Amino acid sequence: MLFNFGQMSLTWLLFLPLIASLVIALANEKHARKLAIVFSIVMFGLSLLIWQQFHPALSGMQFEYKAIWFNSPIPVQYHVGVDGISLALVVLTTFIVLMAVLASETITTRPKLYYSFVMLLSLSILGVFVSLDLLQFFVFYELELVPMYFLIAIWGGPNRSYAAMKFLLYTFFGGVFMLGGIIYLYSQLIMLDPGASFDMIALARQCPYLPKLIQGIAFLGFFLAFVIKLPSFPLHTWLPDAHVEAPTPISMILAGLLLKMGSYGLVRICLGFFPNTVIDYGKWIMLLGAFNIVWAAMACLVQKDMKRIIALSSVSHMGFVLLGIGCLSSLALQGAVFQMISHGVISALLFFLVGTVYERCHTRDITEIGGGLAKQMPVLFYFWMFACLANLGLPGLSGFAAETAIYYGSFTSIMVSTLVKGILGKPVVIFATFGVVLTAAYMLWLLKRLFFGPETSRWAGHLSDARPNEKLIAWSLSVVVLALGIFPLLLTQQYNPATESINRLMVSRLPGSH
Amino acid sequence: MPSGQFFVENIGYVVSAPFLAGLLIVLGLWRSKTISMLLSVGAVAFGFVYSMFLFFAITANPKLVPWQINVDWLATSNFHLSMGLLVDNLVAVMLLVVTTVSLLVQIYTHGYMREDPGYSRFYAYLSLFTGSMLGLVVSTNLFETYFFWELVGVCSYFLIGFWWYKASAAEAALKAFFVNRIGDCGFLIGILLLLAATKDIWGSHVVLGYVDPNGFDLGGVIQRAHQSGALSAGLLTLAACLTLLGPMAKSAQFPLHVWLPDAMEGPTPISALIHAATMVAAGVYLVARAYPIWLTPDGHTGSIGLAVITVVGAITAFMAATIALSQFDIKRILAWSTVSQLGYMFVGLGTGAFSGSIFHLFNHAFFKAMLFLCSGAVIHGLHGEQDIRKMGGLKKYMPITAYCCLVGTLSISGCPGLSGFFSKDEIIASACKYNVWLGALMIFTAFLTAFYMFRLYFMTFENEYRGDAHPHESPPVVWLPLVVLAFPSVLSGYLGFNWQSLNGLKFDGTEGASLANQFAAFVHFGQVPHFEGMNGLIMLISTTAALLGFCLAWAVYKTGSVHVNSDIATSKQPLVAFLYDFSLNKWKFDEFYLWLVNEIFLPFFSFIWQLVDKYIIDTFVNFTGVATLATGSVVRLMQNGRGQYYALVIFAWVAGLTIFAYIVRP
Repeated sequence: MLFNFGQMSLTWLLFLPLIASLVIALANEKHARKLAIVFSIVMFGLSLLIWQQFHPALSGMQFEYKAIWFNSPIPVQYHVGVDGISLALVVLTTFIVLMAVLASETITTRPKLYYSFVMLLSLSILGVFVSLDLLQFFVFYELELVPMYFLIAIWGGPNRSYAAMKFLLYTFFGGVFMLGGIIYLYSQLIMLDPGASFDMIALARQCPYLPKLIQGIAFLGFFLAFVIKLPSFPLHTWLPDAHVEAPTPISMILAGLLLKMGSYGLVRICLGFFPNTVIDYGKWIMLLGAFNIVWAAMACLVQKDMKRIIALSSVSHMGFVLLGIGCLSSLALQGAVFQMISHGVISALLFFLVGTVYERCHTRDITEIGGGLAKQMPVLFYFWMFACLANLGLPGLSGFAAETAIYYGSFTSIMVSTLVKGILGKPVVIFATFGVVLTAAYMLWLLKRLFFGPETSRWAGHLSDARPNEKLIAWSLSVVVLALGIFPLLLTQQYNPATESINRLMVSRLPGSH
Repeated sequence: MPSGQFFVENIGYVVSAPFLAGLLIVLGLWRSKTISMLLSVGAVAFGFVYSMFLFFAITANPKLVPWQINVDWLATSNFHLSMGLLVDNLVAVMLLVVTTVSLLVQIYTHGYMREDPGYSRFYAYLSLFTGSMLGLVVSTNLFETYFFWELVGVCSYFLIGFWWYKASAAEAALKAFFVNRIGDCGFLIGILLLLAATKDIWGSHVVLGYVDPNGFDLGGVIQRAHQSGALSAGLLTLAACLTLLGPMAKSAQFPLHVWLPDAMEGPTPISALIHAATMVAAGVYLVARAYPIWLTPDGHTGSIGLAVITVVGAITAFMAATIALSQFDIKRILAWSTVSQLGYMFVGLGTGAFSGSIFHLFNHAFFKAMLFLCSGAVIHGLHGEQDIRKMGGLKKYMPITAYCCLVGTLSISGCPGLSGFFSKDEIIASACKYNVWLGALMIFTAFLTAFYMFRLYFMTFENEYRGDAHPHESPPVVWLPLVVLAFPSVLSGYLGFNWQSLNGLKFDGTEGASLANQFAAFVHFGQVPHFEGMNGLIMLISTTAALLGFCLAWAVYKTGSVHVNSDIATSKQPLVAFLYDFSLNKWKFDEFYLWLVNEIFLPFFSFIWQLVDKYIIDTFVNFTGVATLATGSVVRLMQNGRGQYYALVIFAWVAGLTIFAYIVRP
């Protein structure tokens, strides 16, 4: 039973990082890195195996496993399973964790503790993506705070304690809102159905039948939690600080995976549980998304710190997810999920590359670097160029596929014609397309200020090009970006049935569709 | 010998060969210069031979086309975006242009870039560009065009910034991409508007497709959408104008032309291939390909969309010609002339001379590529000198280059019998018919064209050498492509000319009989080709204008008997000085745009970001933190920064709220 692949594979995958963190904690400091790499490779391999065994055409959850712990006073159970959306994120997680572990080469202080925390962090991220029980989801969602706080506070930059605290406060604030939402929802359901549970599949079925106002209140709790994590204006100011202080591999995980917990929650819970609320307020989500895209892109143009630019660009790109989920279009929803994966890989690559420059120049200040880096770091220059182009949505790279689906989907959606009686709908999406111009401007301007131009005397002879390890990481991430950009169907066909069924559920609740 | 069908159906290999070559070079073959070059040149040579066969197959059997194949690129159960391959007459012509110029430029590159450490990298970019450009040409729908449109744009970015260590090149590359992105943003919005209005009509057909056997192509669907009321004429005009921003940026039309002259910072082979012959013509190609967007909803000319194209083209043609008069950098003069000629093509499209415009694109590609390659040979021969004031008398040292340049100059000036004459005449005639003032402006521009081109020629090749380098003729690998290109520069015009029309030529301002010509019969919009009769009077006037331009240039720059140039340059008269300054400084567009970015947008962004993110939000966050702590009476713990206290208090707050919400439940 323990080795039944169909049932136990997710559990194995989920608890591998826990085992890893224990093993690493008990092992010798010298072996910590090797062990972490081996475990990450095994996790990545296992997730690929699940990906390969997954049947996209089947509806509902797969690799499901459920174990009831106790039912009284509240039902508590262990329940895992994946559909296409969560599976894509699971594979992304194991991939990015592997990359981050590889990129941790330069972490030399207390490696045992460091790698244990990284493994603990991946446990919590995987837990969020595979959980099918709301309490379990919440536990994993909050568990992430502990390793993340310490990873920033111990291995971070000069201002790390401030950043770690800001991160903790913001996220905790959100988490409490979610807990409020969970308790509120349960308390409402239990009155209607004494057998109510925290099972997410059951909740997705029951919640749409609650009174609208109750749905709205519960929605708000979850929504606040997730947009803080996403993050979205005006709750985004923790992100640049956390990123700037976090060590490079942790920034990769933070941008690549932690933000996806927020966007995943939005799709799975906010859309999946409360379709009526999305119908009523989806237009404002769109507006928020469009505003995020442009606002953060604009902010990127006036930053002086290269890591802050990349961090704020995450806010801009996660705005696409908001735009995509609010508009009741299966194409845009497909794009939103694609954007999660795509941004996960691209931002990890960008943060990794920022790290390579920071490591060599010991400054993140763009004017201090002063340009001309390409002279001594040609290989890194090409990867930088690639990553910047991917981030600005160049066709053939993954960001473009996501943006296309979101723009095309949202502009032709049902919702766009209802925003303020249809007057504001299209202008909102058009406003969002200005992001195309702004993103190109700040990415290429950054690239120019770092790499182009004559070499400055300050760096002459002091810099070195990419090491083999760095090339390996950059190549791996780049190949994924390119493959997804050329054949987006590789990914979308895996999860499209899942996004379509969520969208169908929402559309079926539209007034007049019965 | 494979059948014509075979050539049509295997077009995909022509597009993928350069991509494959580029990929292989990037993946490691760059270590060997020779292999990189052979791969890159081989891929495009294959494309060239193939395009020739394809072209003859189609002329032999017109029933083979249109042919297309599509695959899903993004799909949901009710929406499909496709990528595909399309072959029709227009595609066949464009394939010929792109592969011919690309092949010759790639051969030339071997000589021009031999010493450059980035030799292999250059070939990788060239291959990538050629592949993207071919992809753009064979696109079956607007979305796919957009896809490759941006790819050719990024190749242009790579190649302008090829010498990244030059600060000016870095600026120019950024500028080119940025300006093109502004155009692309308009293009995207245009596509979205069209798609939103027509989304229910496409059904299972290729969405936004150009060609469909059952009439579900752009033209047909726009018509249907108009009939069903989903697409009003006003909305179509709006979509047309926004979509036009894309072609305007790519083809360097006013007011998005500013990037092209700066793009001359890239190596000269690139200026010839990308910034003269192929990529910049993509804008014209797109307008031609998706022509129904700019027509009236029921598919007629006389729409606002076409009028906008005409006005944009006319302003551009005139403006660029006036700027070219006063420039001294040999490549920039050619760049401005490119901008001006692209303006002519836009005027042609706007006034209904569809075939004439494509014809001009076709001819211009050859002679302009040749002119640029000549300038490259000159620059190479003078060890990097680009200022025509430091040239002169070069005919003695590099006769082959000089004669090729003369052919190109004659052709672009509209010398009767050379290719530029035929196509430019079609456009001018069409402009005159559209509006007599427009025609006059176009003719005046033709006068300016002849003047500044011969100014360039005389200052470079005639009289005495004024520089201090040691000029020499280039090696054969450099001059051979010039000589090869000289042939189409002279002869390609006869494709669009019917000898019979000379018989009925009248000089009283009326048109002669409409007689078929091969080019217009091959490439045309709509079911049947439309032929214009030749108007002898207009032809006479425009030729005279060009002749006047030539004579003035001769007097000023060859014999030196007239000194208007120095008189103007040193004039104290305010108006003349102002006009000269205006032309020399390119109508001050760069200053204006820089002012806009540096003095308006960036300060505004900076101000509003500081205000909102830094002051309002973060102050609020800090205040909330303090307030929360105060109510929890743990202010003193703040200095310790102990997270659990903050967290506990927040938790208590929200728990309280939850209970409250539970008690007052609705």
